[in-house]
Amino acid sequence: MRFLLPRIGFLLILALAVMALPARDVDSAASEADTTCAEGVSPDYYEIELVTTRKVSGARLAKGVGEVTYVQSPFGISLSEDGSYLVNIDVSMSNVKLADGKQLVAWVTTPQLDEISSLGALDENLQVSGQTDFNKFLLVITLEPAGEEPGTMWTGPVVSRGMSRSGLMHTMAGHGPFETEPCAVYGY
Amino acid sequence: MQRFRFNGLLLAAVLLIPVLPAQAQEMDHSMHMHHGHDMSAGDSLAWRMAPMDGMTMPMMPEMMDDVPDTGAFLPGFGMDVSMLPEARPSEIIDMANGDTLRMDASMVRRTINGREYVMMAYGGMYPGPLIRADRGAKVVVEFTNNIEMPTTVHWHGLRLDNAFDGIPGLTQDPVETGETFTYELKFPDTGMYWYHPHMREDVQQDLGLYGNMLVDPTEEDYYAPVNREVPLILDDLLVDANGLFPYGEEAPTHALMGRFGNVMMVNGITDYSLDIEAGEVVRFYLTNVANTRTFNVNFGGARIKVIADDVSKLEREQFVSSVIIAPAERYIVDVYFDDEGTYEITNAVQAIDHFRGTFVPETHQLGTISASGSASADHADAFAEARTNEDTIADIDGFRRYFDKAPDHNLRLTIETKDLHPMTMRMMEVDTLYFPPIEWNEGMPMMNWLSTGDEAKWTLLDEDTGKKSMEINWQWEVGDVVKIRVFNDPASFHPMNHPFHVHGQRFVVTHIDGVPNRNMGWKDTVIIPVGSTIDILVDVTNPGKWMAHCHIAEHLHAGMMLGFEVRDPSMPNAGR
Repeated sequence: MRFLLPRIGFLLILALAVMALPARDVDSAASEADTTCAEGVSPDYYEIELVTTRKVSGARLAKGVGEVTYVQSPFGISLSEDGSYLVNIDVSMSNVKLADGKQLVAWVTTPQLDEISSLGALDENLQVSGQTDFNKFLLVITLEPAGEEPGTMWTGPVVSRGMSRSGLMHTMAGHGPFETEPCAVYGY
Repeated sequence: MQRFRFNGLLLAAVLLIPVLPAQAQEMDHSMHMHHGHDMSAGDSLAWRMAPMDGMTMPMMPEMMDDVPDTGAFLPGFGMDVSMLPEARPSEIIDMANGDTLRMDASMVRRTINGREYVMMAYGGMYPGPLIRADRGAKVVVEFTNNIEMPTTVHWHGLRLDNAFDGIPGLTQDPVETGETFTYELKFPDTGMYWYHPHMREDVQQDLGLYGNMLVDPTEEDYYAPVNREVPLILDDLLVDANGLFPYGEEAPTHALMGRFGNVMMVNGITDYSLDIEAGEVVRFYLTNVANTRTFNVNFGGARIKVIADDVSKLEREQFVSSVIIAPAERYIVDVYFDDEGTYEITNAVQAIDHFRGTFVPETHQLGTISASGSASADHADAFAEARTNEDTIADIDGFRRYFDKAPDHNLRLTIETKDLHPMTMRMMEVDTLYFPPIEWNEGMPMMNWLSTGDEAKWTLLDEDTGKKSMEINWQWEVGDVVKIRVFNDPASFHPMNHPFHVHGQRFVVTHIDGVPNRNMGWKDTVIIPVGSTIDILVDVTNPGKWMAHCHIAEHLHAGMMLGFEVRDPSMPNAGR
């Protein structure tokens, strides 16, 4: 009980902060979002934008995207036994000039970097496809020695990186009211 | 200065996070003792605080005294439960062509987890009687309404005559208490189907009004051989310490996310068990009758092979690690229990903790299968083969030329809100960076409970005409092949997955997010994940006035339905 009052105090502070946001009615049916779906293109909502680190010569202006679709299943969506989403990731990069003896490799990793998995080396068209069952993950493109099979962890510098849509889900405390996240970038 | 203030708030919030679980529990308890709700209501119909099993958000003080904008309602309230007949387990009713079944809906006594409830049943059974007939048969069901609400019966998935589809105001008048309506059923497609009310499903179906119809093939070797066949009906029920949690009287509550239950049931019981012999291949016929919950079903590690979905076999049988089944969907799966032992049937999902912004593994025990001894017939070799179903492929072949046609209709799934609780609006606005493709749990039970269809109007928007929901009345003809592109708008206010059901016709899913579907079967219900675009191709064969709608009961009542009319050119007045 003696701990209850301070907790309620914190709660009230949080509540007041949230209440300070302007309320509005929403008619989302009138939103301007594009609804067309090009054949074979993943939904924009789950698309991962790859942002260059600007630290790798020949890739400082690199652009890239990870398109996310469900692994085929009879159920429309695909899950692992524990309920994690199983998704295809189709990675494509551009604006990259690779030095001789180098290749790009795509990786997925949890935000804590405690689990890392390779999607494979990008081909001559700077594309590679793979799958993951991580629920929140980072997509990382690194520069590696050409011709080598990706190991369990990248060795070269990070060229680009992006975050899965689920990675945008974070603590309520970190959302807009506290101005610690670039929520507006994502349409909030 | 402003930066300092926000950082201070952030610090307070971060410090708050570690104490949340205890906080939520203390609040849950304390809320039962004060504020505007009658917390010692017992069997009274005063609103009491919604169960907080999935509660991860801290309760906002501003919301503590609020109740939904509708009265509390429990059918059978005030009845002496001991005077009601105890419902009995489901029985199989084998029906031959031309047979008649007399079946009622009535109030019954059910005992769940040792507690007695006033509930409803078809034919006095939970689930209702399993009607079994051969493909091509026609039977009659003389239905009598003995519950205290008007009702109808919808025969889900059957391509039957329009007059018997069970839609109040469209195909028939409601069946009032004491009245009888005669339904004529026909079974053109092999598979598992189900029946349920099409009035206040959120109440009547939730309280037990559902049953299966199994249509047997007339062909030899239609399915691979198995040792036994078992129907599994998945459901959940929302209860608290005072009993069944009340429903909305004038309109359903839980309009935002649907009414998640906190008691899981298989075939109407919480301790489902099945004794088999080791080495058996068991064919399970799965049906999800829950108001809103999608299940991810495992069989304790036993191998699973999907045979068929709603209305037909798949083109190719397929091994899977689990069965994902949305409300109203059916799947037929073969499961091989190769060793002696106990196999737990579970629902394993990744729930979302909205406050912490994390996925949380959640597993629900659904039942137990005990394997011992040795199976008398060995079907392991047949199980190991994933058959290619040439009959399904040939049936679909006639439609492949339409797969890449331009959509005839573009439908957007969205929601319009009005006068939602201000706190709900504000909390939602700060939690809109990510919505899961499918909502596996109820992470915001209080906000969800407070919403009714008056505040949350779920909408089917025809992108081509601008018409919404029941303003839509598509005009088709028998023989048409209609492509509908359904887009679940992630930019809408709290987008959610929707199981989209088309009455009276069958369809195939041709594309999922633009990717061609490589293993089809005929369906009547398909899940539309958040952000996704699903193309369905409808085989228009059945004249009449029909509906298509979201099968989350609360979303249906919150407006998420449309109409379409199928005209038969050879019968100019048919369906008019």
